[in-house]
Amino acid sequence: MTLPSASGPSFLEAKGLTREFDEGHVRALRGVDFSINEGEFIAITGPSGCGKSTLLQLLGSLDRPTSGTLLYRGISVPDHPDPAAYRAREVGFIFQAFHLLPTFTAAENVQIPMFEIDRSVSERRERAFELLKLVGLEKRLDHFPSKLSGGERQRVAIARSLANGPSLLLADEPTGNLDSENAHSVLELLIRLQQEQGRTMVLVTHDPTIADRAGRILRMKDGQVVSDGKP
Amino acid sequence: MTFFTVVLRGLWRRPLRTGLTLAGISIGIAAVVALVGMSRGFEKGWQVGLKARGTDIVVRNKTGGLTPKPFDASVRDRIANLPRIAATCNLLVQVTSVEDSDLMILSGREWGGFSWSNLELISGRMPSDATEEAAVLGQTAAEILRKKVGDPIQIETKELKVVGIVKGGALVEDGSVILALSLLQGIIGSPNQINAIDVRATPGTTEQQLAELTRQIQQLAPEVRALTVAEHLSHAEGFQLIKAMSWGTSLLAILVGVLGVMNTMLMTVFERTHEICVLLAVGWRRGRVMRMILYESALLGFFGGIVGVALGAVGVKVLTATPAIRGLLQPDLSPSLLGLSIVIAVAVGIMSGLYPAWRSSRLMPSLALQNG
Ligand SMILES: Nc1ncnc2c1ncn2[C@@H]1O[C@H](COP(=O)(O)OP(=O)(O)OP(=O)(O)O)[C@@H](O)[C@H]1O
Ligand SMILES: [Mg+2]
Repeated sequence: MTLPSASGPSFLEAKGLTREFDEGHVRALRGVDFSINEGEFIAITGPSGCGKSTLLQLLGSLDRPTSGTLLYRGISVPDHPDPAAYRAREVGFIFQAFHLLPTFTAAENVQIPMFEIDRSVSERRERAFELLKLVGLEKRLDHFPSKLSGGERQRVAIARSLANGPSLLLADEPTGNLDSENAHSVLELLIRLQQEQGRTMVLVTHDPTIADRAGRILRMKDGQVVSDGKP
Repeated sequence: MTFFTVVLRGLWRRPLRTGLTLAGISIGIAAVVALVGMSRGFEKGWQVGLKARGTDIVVRNKTGGLTPKPFDASVRDRIANLPRIAATCNLLVQVTSVEDSDLMILSGREWGGFSWSNLELISGRMPSDATEEAAVLGQTAAEILRKKVGDPIQIETKELKVVGIVKGGALVEDGSVILALSLLQGIIGSPNQINAIDVRATPGTTEQQLAELTRQIQQLAPEVRALTVAEHLSHAEGFQLIKAMSWGTSLLAILVGVLGVMNTMLMTVFERTHEICVLLAVGWRRGRVMRMILYESALLGFFGGIVGVALGAVGVKVLTATPAIRGLLQPDLSPSLLGLSIVIAVAVGIMSGLYPAWRSSRLMPSLALQNG
């Protein structure tokens, strides 16, 4: 038992997190510990298969750990009383493969998470417009994902992640599917969003130049954090 | 964008499959409308027919059936003097084939009885007496048999002459070949046999008094059964059989519809694992995902119901225009039956969506979003 710090529970805290697959044959996470403060920009790097995505899924409550504790502002994430509310309000998830819904337009994709928040139809529409404007897509509101470029799709996904004003942005290789030009501008957008609004951002990347932009880098190997520090 | 938009978008995803599923439900519901509508229409037709003859009570053999077994005509003499009985008329009714028509109502009516009096001549004349070898045809029967006044008509082994075409004020009457009771008894070789007595009560008799009267008749003639017109129809085995068969066939059709929707919705859930995982990942509650699937399947049921009701109504109209059953029934396409059919369709949709909805809500969001 550690003493609570003067400022109360930390923003995100993991202790002994493990995640096993296939009845223990695959041990993707083998005891991960860290603590993250509000407003930090953290990059997670490491070789392929070391467990980065698995860890991010646990942080976003998209998956449950096999053991260990994970606290968000002192509340357990795996045993959250209302996991949907945690995902909807506290977390914005951005995936390498975008994961937009193909049968909905850009504006509609951005509105999808808003159904869990009490908002009128027109409020949802306006908020989606503002968010798409924020990511520079105010001219693509009614485009379906198949009619958008990769960079544009990721911007829509970023707008969607911001739909309910999350405090925590989780980005898993957000530029992995983009050419260098688009990768650059999407990264700048994410950093701008993180800094301007004082959000916490955890970004998984292979790219050392991207990792170097973060305030702190967690390096992983074989399901464990092997180093934690400034770039 | 409303939640309803999301639901509709789900159905639009696969227009072909949605269309085929709709077709499946529609056919099931069309079967319900057609079969139940026809059986109800059949029953109603007889009821209206009896009422048009001015009949309040029907006396017939204990065993039911559309054309019950004959009994001795002397029964009438025992009951005719009961108070509140204004008139009686002995009948021998058979549903049989007449010339080209396989299903024709042959109605032998006691000469001079009240069951003749509601017949209105369109052309020709009534038979001149009980011994004349003549028949009158209801207007629909005349059309079906393609007869006009003066034509011969073969009844069993006897050739009669069509002397008149009549309007009876009810489908059953219009679809009948009507002749004197004694003549029909002679033709089929069973003198003194009848299978129904139409009883008319004195004007002003209440339903309760009618019921009492049936009990009195029953006491005087224990070998027969006296029923008010409404009872008569709901007891008749023939009607019950038709009803049971039409609902039975309908249920089968509905079951096929259920399997169709369930299959579609299950495939939807499997195919849309990715979409459902995304919805869960961005914070949709499991209940909302379930509702989305259930609304989709309910909506499938609703649209299928509407199309099915339309199909069924058209189908019934076409069927009842075919020579085989024309004149026998006027389909009952009451709003209550159409409404019930749509309710059934929506219920089918919801039931079929329950399991797929439950399946969908069990998904872990990480499942489909594994690789980044
Ligand atoms: N659902 C699963 N079932 C079985 N094994 C899994 C599952 N998900 C991940 N793994 C395994 O867990 C390990 C960590 O996977 P993870 O996706 O977290 O790696 P990663 O660090 O994100 O790799 P990359 O950089 O290639 O994205 C890998 O060995 C992977 O095969
Ligand atoms: Mg990964």
